[in-house]
This record gives sequence, C-alpha cells and structure tokens, in this order.
Amino acid sequence: MISFSGVITWLNDPGNWRDRVGQEGIFTQLLNHLQYSVVAILIALAIGLPLGLLIGHSGRATFIVSAVNALRALPTVGLLILFYVIIGPHIHGKGDAAFLIPTEIVLVLLATPPILANTYAGVQNVEPAARDAAAGMGMTSTQVLFRVELPNALPLIFSGLRSAALQVIATATIAAYVGLGGLGRFVYDGLASRDFPQMTGGAILVAILALVVDLLLALGQRYAVSRGVSGRFSKRALPADSRSGEVVQLEVASA
Amino acid sequence: MRIKFVAVVAGATALAAVLAGCGKSGSSSGGGGSSSASGSGGSSATIASKLVLGGPPEFKTRVDGIPGLQKTYNVTFGNFKALDAGGPLTIGALKNGQIDAGDIFTTDPSIKADNFVVLQDPKNLYTAQNVLPLINKTKATDGVSKTLNAISAKLTTDDLVQLNVDVVSNKQDPDTVAKQWLSSKGLGTTGTDAAGTTLTVGSANFQENVVLAEIYAEALKAEGATVNTKLNIGSRETYIPGLQDGSIDLIPEYSGVLLQYFDKTATAETSDDVYSALQKAVPSGLTVLQQSQAQDKDAIVVTKNTADKYHLVSIADLAKSA
Amino acid sequence: MILADDNSSPLKLFSYFSNNHSQVLSWLWSHAWLSVVPVVIGLIVSLPLGWLARRYRWVYPPMVSLTGLLYTIPSIALFVVMPSLLGTRILDPINVVVALSVYTVALLVRVVADGLGSVPEEVNQAATAMGLTRFQRLLKVELPIAVPVIAAGLRVAAVSNVSMVAVAATIGVPELGQLFTNGFQLSVSGPYYPPILLGLILCVILALVLDFAIVLLNRSLTPWRRVVAAR
Repeated sequence: MISFSGVITWLNDPGNWRDRVGQEGIFTQLLNHLQYSVVAILIALAIGLPLGLLIGHSGRATFIVSAVNALRALPTVGLLILFYVIIGPHIHGKGDAAFLIPTEIVLVLLATPPILANTYAGVQNVEPAARDAAAGMGMTSTQVLFRVELPNALPLIFSGLRSAALQVIATATIAAYVGLGGLGRFVYDGLASRDFPQMTGGAILVAILALVVDLLLALGQRYAVSRGVSGRFSKRALPADSRSGEVVQLEVASA
Repeated sequence: MRIKFVAVVAGATALAAVLAGCGKSGSSSGGGGSSSASGSGGSSATIASKLVLGGPPEFKTRVDGIPGLQKTYNVTFGNFKALDAGGPLTIGALKNGQIDAGDIFTTDPSIKADNFVVLQDPKNLYTAQNVLPLINKTKATDGVSKTLNAISAKLTTDDLVQLNVDVVSNKQDPDTVAKQWLSSKGLGTTGTDAAGTTLTVGSANFQENVVLAEIYAEALKAEGATVNTKLNIGSRETYIPGLQDGSIDLIPEYSGVLLQYFDKTATAETSDDVYSALQKAVPSGLTVLQQSQAQDKDAIVVTKNTADKYHLVSIADLAKSA
Repeated sequence: MILADDNSSPLKLFSYFSNNHSQVLSWLWSHAWLSVVPVVIGLIVSLPLGWLARRYRWVYPPMVSLTGLLYTIPSIALFVVMPSLLGTRILDPINVVVALSVYTVALLVRVVADGLGSVPEEVNQAATAMGLTRFQRLLKVELPIAVPVIAAGLRVAAVSNVSMVAVAATIGVPELGQLFTNGFQLSVSGPYYPPILLGLILCVILALVLDFAIVLLNRSLTPWRRVVAAR
C-alpha cells in the first residue's frame, strides 16, 4: 500500500510543479504557504517585540506575558473553525478573504507567545550590572533599552522567532482545511483522493520549507547578534546558543 | 553559533539521505501523480469559463468531477476551488459569492432555504445514489439483515431532506431524530431478531449519515443487539479500511459513490444497474443489504441570481457561449 | 448577530453539555489519555537520547537538529501516514499516540541534554570526589538537578499535545476535536457556537490541569528548592 518511490516520482514530476487549470502547482502553493506564514510572523513580531521590550524594560504588567502564554493551550483547529464561522458569513464576493482572515488570526495567535515570552525573558535576563553601568555612563532609559538591553536580548529573541516560524510554517498546512492554498492543499487533496504520494510529498515540502527558513533565520541571527553577546570572539565558545532555547526560558517567563 | 550552523546543515543532509534511502527501499505500486484534466481549449468563451466552481478536493480528479463535466457536457469552469463535500465551506462560499457554482448534495436543506437552483443532469453524469447498509459479512445474520432491510423498505428521499432539516437546521439531537423517524414509520417496536449480535455502527462525518447510522443503531438495539457507535469518522478513505479491519461493522452508504470507490471503471447509471454492479464489486469480507429508494446525489448547484442571469436550467447550458 | 438564533447562542453551551454529557465526557477522557501517554513515552525515549547527546558532544548537533526536524512535519500528515508505517488500523488511537510521542521526543531531547548540561562543573567534581561512579552521579546528582528544566519542557509538550490531539478529529479519531468538526458541520445556516466553545473551554481546562500536575510533580521531586527559598 505504501510506496515512497511514488513520493519521489511525484516530487520529480515537472507537471506537478507547474500550474494547471483548477489546480495550482507546487511553485505557486509554496509561495502561498510562505506568504501566509510571513504575514503572520510579521504581525506577531509587530505585536510581540515592542510589547516584550516594554514589559521587560519597565518590569510592569508582567501578567500580560503569562496571559499570552496561556493562548498556547487553545487548540488551533478549534480556533480556526470558530473564526471562520464568525467571520466567513460577513465577507461577500470573489477572493479568499473569507478563508484568509481566520487563518491569519490563528497563525498570529500561534506566533505571538514565543516571540513575546522570549523578548521579555531576554530583556529580563540582562545582567543588572550591565544596566547599572549604562546608566552610570549617563544613558537615558530609552538608550539603555535600545543600546544595552535589546542587543543582549537578541539571541533569545531570535530563538523565539525561530520557534514561532517553525510552528507557523508547520501549522499553515491547515489553511487548506478551510479552502485556502498553500502546501497543505497537497496533503488534504492527497488525503481526499487516496493519493498517498501527493499527500506525503506535500508534507515533505512543508518540512523542507520550515528547515530552509530556520537556516536563513540562523544566518540572520549570526549576522545580527553582537560578537560580544554571542561569545564568538572567545576561544572557549560558551554553549550559550544551545542553552538559550525557547523551552528552557519558558519557566523564567511564566514563573 | 558554529555548532548550530553545522547542526542545521547536518539535519538537511540527513533529510536528503532519508529521502534517497526511501526511494530505494520503496516497494512497487502505481498511483503516481494525479491525472491531468486540463484540456482548457475552447476558443469562444462559454458561460462556465466565467464561473468558479467549488467542491470537495477530490472533485478535481473524480470521474464525475471536473473530468466528467468536461467529457459528458463539454463544460470547463473558469476555475475550481477545493472546499468540502457539500459542507459549510461550499454552501457558505456559494451563498456569499466566493464561488458561482457548487457541488453539493440534493438532500441539503440549504437548497430550499437559500433558493439555490439544482441544474438538471439529462445525461446522468451523476449516477443513482440509493442509501443502503454496508456491513461486515460476519455480522450480517438473518436477524440483522431483516431489521436493516425493514428500514430500507421505508426510507424515502423526502425523509432524508426532513432528517437533515431536523438535525442541521433545527439542531436536534441525531439520536432523538432517529428514534422519532423509527416510531413514525412503525419500526419502533422491540423484538429479539438481532439478539446475541454485537456490532459497531459507524458514520461518515456529515449529519445525514450520522442520523442514518443512529437509525440503524437504534433499530438493532431494539431487536436485542449489543450496539456501539463510532460516529463522525472522516471520509470514505478512512472508514472503508475501518470496516475491513473490523474497527466498525456497519455503515450507511450511498450506492453510486460506493461502486465508484470499489471499481473506478464502473459505468452503471440507474439504481438497479448500480445496485447489481455494486453487489459484485464489494470486497469479499463485506456485503451490501437491500437498498432503499431514498437517494442523495451530487448535483451542480447555482444561486438563483446566477441561474437567472445566464438562463441556466441544465448542466448542458453551461457550455453555451456567454 | 451572535444572539440571533436562540439555539445557537454561545450561552447554550451548558445545555449542549448536559444534553450530550456522556458523549462529551468520553471524548474528554480519550483526549486526556491521548495527550498524556505520548508525554510519558516521549520522556522515556528522550532521557537516554538526551544523555547520549550530553555524554558525547559530537552527537549533540545531529541529534538535536534531527529530532527538531521531526517537529516540522505537519501533524495531520503524520496521523495519516502512521498506519502504513506501523501496520496499524486506520482508526487506531495508537497512530495518534505514536505521532505525538514523536513530537514530544522532538521537543524533549534538546531539553534533557541541556538540562543535564546545566549541572555546575564544581558539583560534578564534588560528586566524583565523594566516590560516586558515573552512573550514580547521573542518577543522584545530574538528573535531579535537571528536573526543573525537564519539567519546563514537559509543560510545553503536554500543552501542545492537547492542541494537536484535536487535529486528529478531522480524520475521525474520537476526542474533543469532534466538538469542533461537529459544530462546523452544523454551522451551515449560521454559526453554531455551543459545541465549538465547549470544545475550546474543555481543551483549555485539560491543558491547565496537565500543566498544574507537572508543576506539582516538579515540586515534589525537588524538595531542596523549597528549603533554599525558605531561607
């Protein structure tokens, strides 16, 4: 019943990559998938980053971080159906807005908690001595935030961003459940028409896309994070990078 | 940093290795990619080419889906949107204008409620779809068969529409609706015909099928059987294997789609032809009992506005030039 | 708008629950164990893997990225492919259990490795000086000190499992996700909130209970932390 060679054949067939009437090809769906994901991640960044910096810097309203973290407990499928059922009937005419808006809301809700929690934890974890030194040098509060706290928090912010990107790309697959495109189309179409190679091919493409995006973000992190923070200049490289995973920091964030 | 970078590269390499390995180890078996169904052609713009069709994902490749519309009626829609099998997505999209035509089911209450127009199908692209019980042979004892056949003898298409109204529109409990239907047809009596049998009744994940499953379950219970239910199992792709491996024993089915499922080359159209072809096509461990006259077919449906605008009565009208 | 249809009002979720309580409770029960069992299996598998990654430094990068890679596979695809890989029946809950165990391992291997690595070098040296063998040191020093970090990872795994189990309803596995798919099917003529909201609420409660249970477990396994805090 199972045939992995069929999956390779499916992925290698140029006809599957091009668009056909009524059926968009892999290229188009890849772009759709990326588009849904990037929009959601950017919105989540626009919410989580300033909020996390502000809360971490001021030390006030930390309950917001715990509250947003609690959003993770909401099941994605349920939220998607709820938002579609609420929003769908109010959108008329051609276009994907009726399906797209609920999907993006759900993806943003998924991406915001790791970004917010890690930004907050990153600022929170800055050594008080570094803050005091900056203040002693005559920096204003805003300068301390942007010149000391933000650069020091970057490794954690990046790991939050990477974790968010991973989850969003994997989850954008369910966009196809409410009639959108993206690589999930192949998973759900393959499932509906008992086309195992198509289904598995779609799933593999999602995994590869997530991997490539993670790789790009890792490169971005390498470029963006100051060597003084990452410890890359030192001969005794600290395992700082491996220690700054989102999961471990969660306890800090929700404690 | 470096460690991380190496890690990611190693991961990618490992993935490639896994893929290559799978390629070698995979057993044979055809399948492959989906069939094309392109053939857009058509120099003069037809009505269909201006419209967007919505339906279940498999409609793209189904014999009576896009390829069938093209072959039987020379109808090619401007675009196709994969939604669901006559569910809230397709009906919502049709109502709100995201699609112009939809593949939905003839017993759907929203056809009446939302003034949808069911396009006639003079060439019988959509074959007969009589409701019947598909059952594991070992569970089809005389008593069980007798009980289920009595239901098939009484069930009509109008009943299906009413059952849908009760459950989907009026939000009544399927179990209650099932019991009401049984007693309204004089089938609410108790007996011992099915005593000693233990069955699991399944249903597909749409409400009409759930009520039908409840009707089967309640009737068998009343005849003394021990009945479990596993309702709302996904689609046919999930529950037919479930029937074959014994996860469930009985499910309400529709003759035409079921025949298509077991025999992709089947050509039977009328109720009787489909039924006799189906009896031969059913795999050895399973069997179908007597069919009811109640039908729930696929239909191409448009809104009243679209029908008026293009003077649509039959599917064939869609091939006319706009 | 929301309150237009009396039967569909969000407030009707209580009467929906009382009308269907036996069905809903059985979904809640299977949802609970479908979420918990993978966490236990995942932990059992991750402990030796994480230890390996800690013990042999060259194992760490490929191990962490390979297991991390598993997390990128969409859950719906993994649920559907499982029967072919395991030879199980398509509706078997085992498919969900194995798939979610895979995700839990993906999450925990790194956490376990990092947790074991969080033991200060002086502590390890002291333990060795006291004559503990490598295995004793792992059991009596490294593992207990790593408990809070591992517990933090377990909390994330448990909560995200509750959300992922719900996806399996779209292929017919009976659990709380059925409330979403049912509610969706019944929303043709307008939103039908009761089952959808009930499903969301029960999922959140379940996630909170599991989260709290792990917090309690963590506390009982690390009594010295309270002593330190009390000073």
